[in-house]
Amino acid sequence: MSQLISRSDLTAWINALLAEYTVIAPTKVDSLALYQPVKRADDIFMDFGITALSPKEWLFPPTETLFTITTQDGTMKLEAPPLDGKNLIFAIRPCDARGFRLLDKVFLAPPADTHYAQRRQNTTLIGLACSKALPQCFCTSVGGAPNDASDVDVLLTEVEEGYLVNIVTEKGQAAVAQAKLIEKDVTPPSPPNLKPVSTEGIVEATLRAYNDDYWERLADRCTHCNVCAFVCPACYCFDVRDHINQGKTERLRCWDSCQAPGFTRVAGGYTPRPTKGARLRQRFGHKLLYYPQQYGDLLCVGCGRCIASCPVNIDIREVMEDLQKLGVKSVSARA
Amino acid sequence: MTNPFLPYLATVKGVTQLTPDIKLFNLELDDPEVREGFDYRPGQFAFVSAFGVGEAPFGLVSLPHWKAGVEFALRRVGTVTRALHDLEPGAKVGVRGPYGNYFPLEDYRGKNILIIGGGIGMAPLRPVIRTILERRPDYGDLTIINGARSPQDLVFADEFDSWATAPRTRLELTVDRGDDNWSGQVALIPSVVQELKPSPANAVAILCGPPIMIKFTLARLKELCFADAQIVTTLEAKMKCGMGRCMRCNIGDKFVCADGPVFTFEQISHLLEPF
Repeated sequence: MSQLISRSDLTAWINALLAEYTVIAPTKVDSLALYQPVKRADDIFMDFGITALSPKEWLFPPTETLFTITTQDGTMKLEAPPLDGKNLIFAIRPCDARGFRLLDKVFLAPPADTHYAQRRQNTTLIGLACSKALPQCFCTSVGGAPNDASDVDVLLTEVEEGYLVNIVTEKGQAAVAQAKLIEKDVTPPSPPNLKPVSTEGIVEATLRAYNDDYWERLADRCTHCNVCAFVCPACYCFDVRDHINQGKTERLRCWDSCQAPGFTRVAGGYTPRPTKGARLRQRFGHKLLYYPQQYGDLLCVGCGRCIASCPVNIDIREVMEDLQKLGVKSVSARA
Repeated sequence: MTNPFLPYLATVKGVTQLTPDIKLFNLELDDPEVREGFDYRPGQFAFVSAFGVGEAPFGLVSLPHWKAGVEFALRRVGTVTRALHDLEPGAKVGVRGPYGNYFPLEDYRGKNILIIGGGIGMAPLRPVIRTILERRPDYGDLTIINGARSPQDLVFADEFDSWATAPRTRLELTVDRGDDNWSGQVALIPSVVQELKPSPANAVAILCGPPIMIKFTLARLKELCFADAQIVTTLEAKMKCGMGRCMRCNIGDKFVCADGPVFTFEQISHLLEPF
């Protein structure tokens, strides 16, 4: 027996949620689907494959104020901003929810990032299982699945009668308190099949290929537009800079990209990663070697947004295939 | 949970011009409890904020038990250092740290220490020298080679006498080019090492300076049969977080901020990327 919610009851539930949480859901913005706060259930766009940007910005914003510096009666004060109240991300895809699990390992490790930690704690995730796979999808090859409930508080699966409701956590239980659920004997649909991508031995393969000229050849066409870092649910490079806003000084944290030419440049001009090849190696090295060595998982959720967005068709699936094919070469200490 | 990005407020107590482009800053942490508890070891670094301009990492060059302020030696070379160089005593700055690993000075006890600093590279080596001089009987022979472009670029000139006159201590100053008042050595640091022929027996060599100086000095030391594990340096990198998170300072899978900045050349030989 499963828990089910009818389509009309779903709308009622969303309205109840809107009274209690800031509801962030997929909305249609021009031709794109984007996770945005919504005021009405009608604003939610459910007929989306995947959003253009991941919802990571709701835990890790593109720009946020770390603290503000004010001077009162000659005394300087540093104040951290109050953070958001209760948020709820509605219809998050399992791959995007998995992205949060990967970010948690970095931002919640001591010393915990207070901004990320507070948002994480205050955010409930209502997942939406995927009924279709897009050509760019490969979540099953990197530890995920279109119906994976591991990283959400509630997982909704669309069926003819409405949505199956799988309550995963206590937070999820609290979120469905005002949902009209009925017990029904409904078989969950089989998840869509995805074309598998081999990730066997990818960590070792990346290490073996570290000093190969593959990286410079691959990067030749990279325009360092940085879109891959911005659309990725698992990318987290950031910059910290001061900004003076109407007489108030703010220290900001903003998204950055390891593909940017000046990313590693020190004062005086020396740049440790001066070439596109060195920078592309950093991207894939981080995702396929450094992060898995430290945390176990690949730093990729298989959402395919980088594949869909890259203007020169650099495709991480092809990169993994190339690395595995590069064969055994001894790893010298330095290039 | 404290916001790990919040710096401690500090006041500039003293500014000493060490060379035309290097200043020594003496900062007093404003909060007395923070001041008491701020503990660090030679090799570690902290971020200094010029509020409104930014934050940058600098090696700590004082020792906490002096209880005489937190000191940094900064070369004026970029946006943040330019803003800090414009500050006068009384100005407010931020201090965030300490971060990083440190020189394992206890492990060097009983050994002969060779310290080689080039230009601003002398800065993180100063607290190492001072520790050895304060605990002189704990260490073997101390040889300090301090080099710079010209006599006016030699860092910590007012400490040279106390270093040179310490027991079992030899100070070799050298410049790339002298001036009318210079009667000392005019030679590149690697040549000085070659002339000196320090023995690797029971020795540790600690180097810090511009990459080209490191490269050629390392070569001379290896010719003299110093093992990679006996040669130690401190690396630098562009940093924003200090916590191994912003992904800017990593050399392959090692973070300069968290796995370093102090590395032996043995560790460096295993690093994946050039730096």
